[in-house]
Amino acid sequence: MIQASHVSHFYGAEQVLFDLSFEIKNGEFLFLSGESGSGKSTLLSILSTLLKPSSGELFIEGESVLEIKNIDYFRQSKIGFVFQFHYLINYLNVYENIALAALEDKKQNINKILEELGILELSSRYPNEISGGQRQRVALARALVNEPKIIFADEPTGSLDSKNSKIVYSLLAQAVQKGTTVVVASHDMQIENYATQIIRLKD
Amino acid sequence: MTAIKALRKNPLKSLLIFSSITIAVMAIFLISSVSQGVIGMYSKMINSDGDIIVTQKGISDTFFSNVDIGLIQKINELKHVSSSYAMIVGASPVGHIPIAGIYGTTANHFEHYKLLRGVYPKEGEVILGENLAKQFSTSNINIGNKKFEISGVYSSEIGFEEGGLVMNISDAGVLFNRSASMLFVSSSSPNEIESIAKKISDLSSEIEVKTTQNFVKEYNQFKIIENSSLVISTLAFAMGLMGIASVMSMIVNSRKEEFGIMRALGKSRFFIIKNLFFETLIMSISAYIFALLLSLGILALLPHIEMLQWYVNGTLSLSTALYVLASTIFMALLGSLLPAWIASKTDPILLINQGCA
Repeated sequence: MIQASHVSHFYGAEQVLFDLSFEIKNGEFLFLSGESGSGKSTLLSILSTLLKPSSGELFIEGESVLEIKNIDYFRQSKIGFVFQFHYLINYLNVYENIALAALEDKKQNINKILEELGILELSSRYPNEISGGQRQRVALARALVNEPKIIFADEPTGSLDSKNSKIVYSLLAQAVQKGTTVVVASHDMQIENYATQIIRLKD
Repeated sequence: MTAIKALRKNPLKSLLIFSSITIAVMAIFLISSVSQGVIGMYSKMINSDGDIIVTQKGISDTFFSNVDIGLIQKINELKHVSSSYAMIVGASPVGHIPIAGIYGTTANHFEHYKLLRGVYPKEGEVILGENLAKQFSTSNINIGNKKFEISGVYSSEIGFEEGGLVMNISDAGVLFNRSASMLFVSSSSPNEIESIAKKISDLSSEIEVKTTQNFVKEYNQFKIIENSSLVISTLAFAMGLMGIASVMSMIVNSRKEEFGIMRALGKSRFFIIKNLFFETLIMSISAYIFALLLSLGILALLPHIEMLQWYVNGTLSLSTALYVLASTIFMALLGSLLPAWIASKTDPILLINQGCA
């Protein structure tokens, strides 16, 4: 379970999040919606431990994020992240990009996940040698490889056509069915069809 | 492995770092090597014969020294003196060559110069160093406003001498208007060198007498060359090192997005620093080796470059090479690891956003 308690955030003098408190239960598919500049990405970054809030506290599985001793291992083992622009490392091939994120005992999952996502034949290609949709599937594979408890996705279909968007959503929905909590920040209202909880942020 | 992949996948950036390090390292090698070489050649020339050197008192440069050659006779009468000779060291235009070293010496020192052809010079004659001889096909040459017959050609391991000429000291005395620049004295007993030096010193109040070893250590011109070379090479090296550090720093800053992604994936600061450490190490050591080989190549070519009149020899000492290696690696690591360490403490998402900006 993720619990946000009185979370606020500022960029310089500008406040983007105002005293937010809410809970996300395990196995939820949460859709964070809102206009540009409403703070969706900022909230997602805070929930995923990638950004410290200016004030307030975040609890994951009952533990305050500030008190987690090894935040790197926590991120690697418990959290998967899908970025809007995939953010693959350009000098590593598809397999190596996923292996970079994988825990030692999860590396055996890589080929299986690549096969499930239909990109096994791309494993030796570099990010600049595959299409945008394929890159986003690689990013999804990277997020899934450690079988995390929570997946965060920031505009995961922002750079994809509708066909590839549907593939990504259905893959995220499959993860929810397996018990993973998924939190997606997006403009794309299609995601409402998959979401079990929606939080709308206002500018 | 990741480090090598990163270097190979960013060839332009890698080439930029490689070139910066290579140029900086070559600058220090060439500047310090040439000055060490110049000092080494002159030291060798002075050390090659004689245990004691006699110069004019209070003269900082042997070029201006004027010692009475008549002292030779008195010196030879001293106990434990095995031999002595006088020398005038000067420089003058020789034929079409703008400047060349001229060594006027007493006949008993001629054997120091190994004759390749011809005979040792009589009055009015000269023998030419092998390199200088390549420039003349005539049987005589003009030195200053005088004409000399070429009686032979000699070789020498010392670049200065190879590019110069040797004549009788009496001829050199007329050219440079002095009796002798220096007197060199050899002792039959190494234990008596100091006492002989003292006795020679007592012969005249106008001379300064030193063992050749002490002379080389204390010679002002060497100190000037050493100090100025140290200043120039230190400045060049410091600029080079600052260049290395700033290039590395720029490269690291341009990779903030990558570091942010790695941190978001759960990779530790240590992982990022370790990879960068190996990247920097591979780059700086390979650039250092390349610069070392290039410098050695250039130093080997220097004595054969006509424009430099075959004078300039370079000597690269092991201590300089090791010092430069250590400094290069230190500055490259400082330039890359410090900003990487600072960056690694930033929230991952901010790093990613900074990288995109």
